Amino acid sequence: MNYEWIIFLLLFLAPVVSSIPIALTYKSKEWTEKLPYLSVFGIFVSVLMSLYIFFSFPENLPACRFSYSWIPGTGIDIVLITDYLSRYMGVITAVIAFFIAVYGLDYMRGDYRPSWYWFFFNLFTASMLLVVYSDNLFLLFVGWEGLGAASWGLIGHWFRDDDEIAYVGVPKRKVGPLELSWPPSFGGWRAISTIRFGDVPMFFAIAAIWVFAGNLNISEIEWGTLFVTIGYAGTIILLLCFLIGLFTKSAQVPFSEWLMTAMTGPTTVSALLHSATMVAAGAFVFIKLTWYIEPWELAHIPVPGLEHVYIFVLFVGLISGLYGALSGSGMLERKVLLAASTMSSIGLMFAAAAASFWVGHFALLVAFWYMAVHAFAKASLFLVSGHLIHATHSRFLCGGLEFGKRMKTPFIVTIIATTFLVGIPPLTAYWVKSGMDEVMEHLIHPLGLIPLILLILTSLVYAGIMAKFLSLNFIKGEKPHHEHVEGGGLMKLGYLMMVSVLIYILFYLVLFRKEEIPHEFISAGGLLTSFGVGIAILACYCIALYKPRISALSKLGTFFNDRMYLPFVNDYILPKTGFFVSHLVQDYGNRGIDGFFNTKVMPGLFERISKGIRTIQTGYLTNYVKIVLGLVMIFLVIASIGGMWI
Amino acid sequence: MIMLYFLLLPLIAVFIAPLLTPKRATYLSSAAFIIPFFSILYCIFKGNGCPSEIHIMNFSAPIGEIYLNFDFISHAFGLTICAVSAMVALFALPYMKHRFEEMKRNVKSEFRKYIFLYDLYAVSMLWLVYSGNLILLYIFLELTLITAFLLIYSYGYGNRKWVGLLYLIWCAVAGVLTLAGFIIIALDPLNNTLALKGITTVGMLAWAFIFVGMLIELPVLGPHVWLPWAHAEAPTPVSALLSPLTVGLAGYVLLRIALIDYSFITTYRMPILAYAIFSSIYAGFSVFTQTDFKRLLAYSTVSQMGYILVALCLGPFGLIGLVIQYMSHAFGKSILFSSAGGIIAVHHGLRDINKMGGLHDSIPTISNAAVVGFLNLGGILTIGMLGEFFILRGVVDTFGVNTMSLAIILPVIFMFMLSVWYGFYTIRKVFYGKPKDTKRLEISRYFYVPLFIIGILSVLLLFPPLSTALIPGLKAVIWTFMGVGGVMP
Repeated sequence: MNYEWIIFLLLFLAPVVSSIPIALTYKSKEWTEKLPYLSVFGIFVSVLMSLYIFFSFPENLPACRFSYSWIPGTGIDIVLITDYLSRYMGVITAVIAFFIAVYGLDYMRGDYRPSWYWFFFNLFTASMLLVVYSDNLFLLFVGWEGLGAASWGLIGHWFRDDDEIAYVGVPKRKVGPLELSWPPSFGGWRAISTIRFGDVPMFFAIAAIWVFAGNLNISEIEWGTLFVTIGYAGTIILLLCFLIGLFTKSAQVPFSEWLMTAMTGPTTVSALLHSATMVAAGAFVFIKLTWYIEPWELAHIPVPGLEHVYIFVLFVGLISGLYGALSGSGMLERKVLLAASTMSSIGLMFAAAAASFWVGHFALLVAFWYMAVHAFAKASLFLVSGHLIHATHSRFLCGGLEFGKRMKTPFIVTIIATTFLVGIPPLTAYWVKSGMDEVMEHLIHPLGLIPLILLILTSLVYAGIMAKFLSLNFIKGEKPHHEHVEGGGLMKLGYLMMVSVLIYILFYLVLFRKEEIPHEFISAGGLLTSFGVGIAILACYCIALYKPRISALSKLGTFFNDRMYLPFVNDYILPKTGFFVSHLVQDYGNRGIDGFFNTKVMPGLFERISKGIRTIQTGYLTNYVKIVLGLVMIFLVIASIGGMWI
Repeated sequence: MIMLYFLLLPLIAVFIAPLLTPKRATYLSSAAFIIPFFSILYCIFKGNGCPSEIHIMNFSAPIGEIYLNFDFISHAFGLTICAVSAMVALFALPYMKHRFEEMKRNVKSEFRKYIFLYDLYAVSMLWLVYSGNLILLYIFLELTLITAFLLIYSYGYGNRKWVGLLYLIWCAVAGVLTLAGFIIIALDPLNNTLALKGITTVGMLAWAFIFVGMLIELPVLGPHVWLPWAHAEAPTPVSALLSPLTVGLAGYVLLRIALIDYSFITTYRMPILAYAIFSSIYAGFSVFTQTDFKRLLAYSTVSQMGYILVALCLGPFGLIGLVIQYMSHAFGKSILFSSAGGIIAVHHGLRDINKMGGLHDSIPTISNAAVVGFLNLGGILTIGMLGEFFILRGVVDTFGVNTMSLAIILPVIFMFMLSVWYGFYTIRKVFYGKPKDTKRLEISRYFYVPLFIIGILSVLLLFPPLSTALIPGLKAVIWTFMGVGGVMP
């Protein structure tokens, strides 16, 4: 085994192994207070390894692919890749996980089951790194399932459902037959059931790729040949099955509900899983796949159906983007608002990546860099809102200017994170968003104006909700009932580090102009249209900052806050149908079959026959004689008839 | 030859264990299965280095040679049986003591009877999968039936005598039908033997008898009604062998017959497949409305056995899927039944799910074990993942990917979803939510350590080096039998 594999083993196993001690000593309060440091150290090892990979591993194929035999002769192998996407995403994942883990040391202090939390947190980090670095689809899926399991464990962390602060929605608030309030244990179940809805089709798609491509390595599969082999219907079925997995994980419409109720988990979990990494994994895998499918290169060979699939992804992304932003505009819960905006951002990533079908490679870079910027910004915001929840004992937006002055660090961090994220010139996201504007402008020719309009609308509303978050937490919100502003040193450290990366990326993008970063970002940012959109975003941001709540629109706001009644599909129609079927099956099917074979019909039949036979056994000789005589008579009759016949 | 001695160990333990104290008897029984477990593991790693069969004796036609068959399929099943039997034996120590006290019987003397039956039960399953002759296989099949019947009859819950008889009758019918099939095979002049390696053809009639018999044993929708009774009312260690190991052995028998002659399956593939998928989904839906925890698990078994029947129809990759699905279900369900048993023992006979909720607080270890169990059923991060993957591959191999095949693809996908849905639904209902009592109970280590060992094994089996050794071996055996693409290394 050469040194590369040692690096990889450390990268994946350090977080898992370092969290085993705390899982084993779950009974001892003394140990569970100390051992989180070991878990964080494990993640730190991963950070070092990911940086080492970033700086010293090869970037280009085939040298960047490392393969180790898993199940020989089947194509299921441990294949890792350190290409452009993986090396960046690996560092992003590990660094964000590390910052959040540091924050978590403070945030989770005194929790009732630290062993569970740290074990799943670290399992999650390892799984995410596996998804990022793996080239083999089966290996990727192992990581993918790890994400799902860890997400379930962490969302339902406060399984007792006894603290209102961990709920989503206003308790006892009913809309029609449905109570729009969700406890943590329900959030966990809903997350894993939704994700499972996507995972199995995706697994099927991987199996189909395995059959038709004869290979499971993303970078090695001849995608064009594969699509031509399976034809129009095959391509569409295969890719749709695969995409359902990505859409459910990334909470795109109509699978977005689980992400909202996932906010019942600890805030660190929301920051890491439900904004920066896991939900972005869907978009990331799509980018990675498209990176190697190279649909823009396939234009010369007719690949049927591919274009339709990409149009589909584009519109799912854009619609999710708008849906998320609009829903967020009506929300008053800190984390749920951020969750809706996350969903919106990921929609935009999908849309930009899908546009690569017409635009080419550049669109993928736009999607990827938007993901990176979003990850750091949104994670900072989540961490801030976690701190605010601790400080105010409320999960609803609250806090006036006076409160903001006392909480200077989170205030400043929120200002930086929101402005850098929404696309105000010349801050970080502006350059990436300009790239996105340009990509959507390219789509005017094949698809018309709609994508561009949807993008701009989403961006404007998005700027509004970010400003609303800032305003209602620090400037114009109500005075909190409870203020606890002291302490939280590690928490502050966590989000300060997180937000500083945004500034670093800004310089990295604009000033250093590294070769790996496309200079198109800069030229796109220089365009007048992009600048115009940027100014419009700034205007929206300022308006929302000044007037975060508009009472005239409160009805519309409630409609948006209730996610346009999408919960009814998840919580009413689906379970009602399911339980109807299962009652049908149990009350009629099982009871009927049971009654037939085991309890009523068959046993009854046996009983009757045996009773019938036993009635003969009376003991009276006359009875027996009668029976014998009767039989003899019957025999004689048959014999005589038979004799006549012959 | 040394393998034979390892397999004889548990058989010897059957007769020695009753002479010892409960604790020692338990350790002996457990060790008697752990040692063969490691020898099987050794054989799996050694590959062709181990003998592929051991001759025992010759009978005249139509019985033929009696021998033990040591291919990878038997090893995979044997490995599972050894691991689960050893661990459940440990779990049973405090549980059965508790049960005997509950029944107001003398613990020591009852334990002797119990451990004898338990060991005999487990060892007959182990020998069943290594039997190279159908008549030997049949004998062990009946032996498992009788021992399990006696265990239910003597130590079960509720209306245990009635349930025991119910189980006996159903499985006796299954056994007789299967025997009829075996006899038809033996009397076929082309075979004139019951030695597995000598049988060249299985006629449609013989297939039909065996198939129907094994459908009852498996069971699928229709005959499945015996299973919830038996699994729910059996003493939990017996449930923890009955559901994971015994019923799946029907799948093993079908697999062996299918490897000899696959024509029955290819002829009736569509009806069988449709029935299997329907049965699995039907049972999956039944799980949601159960109120008795053990009964719930029993319905989940019916659903999982549907997977096995689906896998049987899907060509060579499906057959690998069948073996792995058996293993994964066995690991998962033994953990789950044991955790149900843990709840019964710790919470004074608590089985009603509506009275549960928030149990994680009082018994976190059992709760976590149950999570691992359901992960196994759902095929998440455990060996079950490979099983699902091979079954899905079998679907694509058999039907392709086009608009027509969607009629099969979508139900299979739905079938796989259901297991995770009911699994985590149950976990939430039983272990999470508002706890009634937040006091953590001190429970015996026997109640959870064996379960975690099974759980860890099920995870390890997914990754190298275990899967690296096991799966290619399985593939080689199945490929040789099915005559596809030459012999794999």
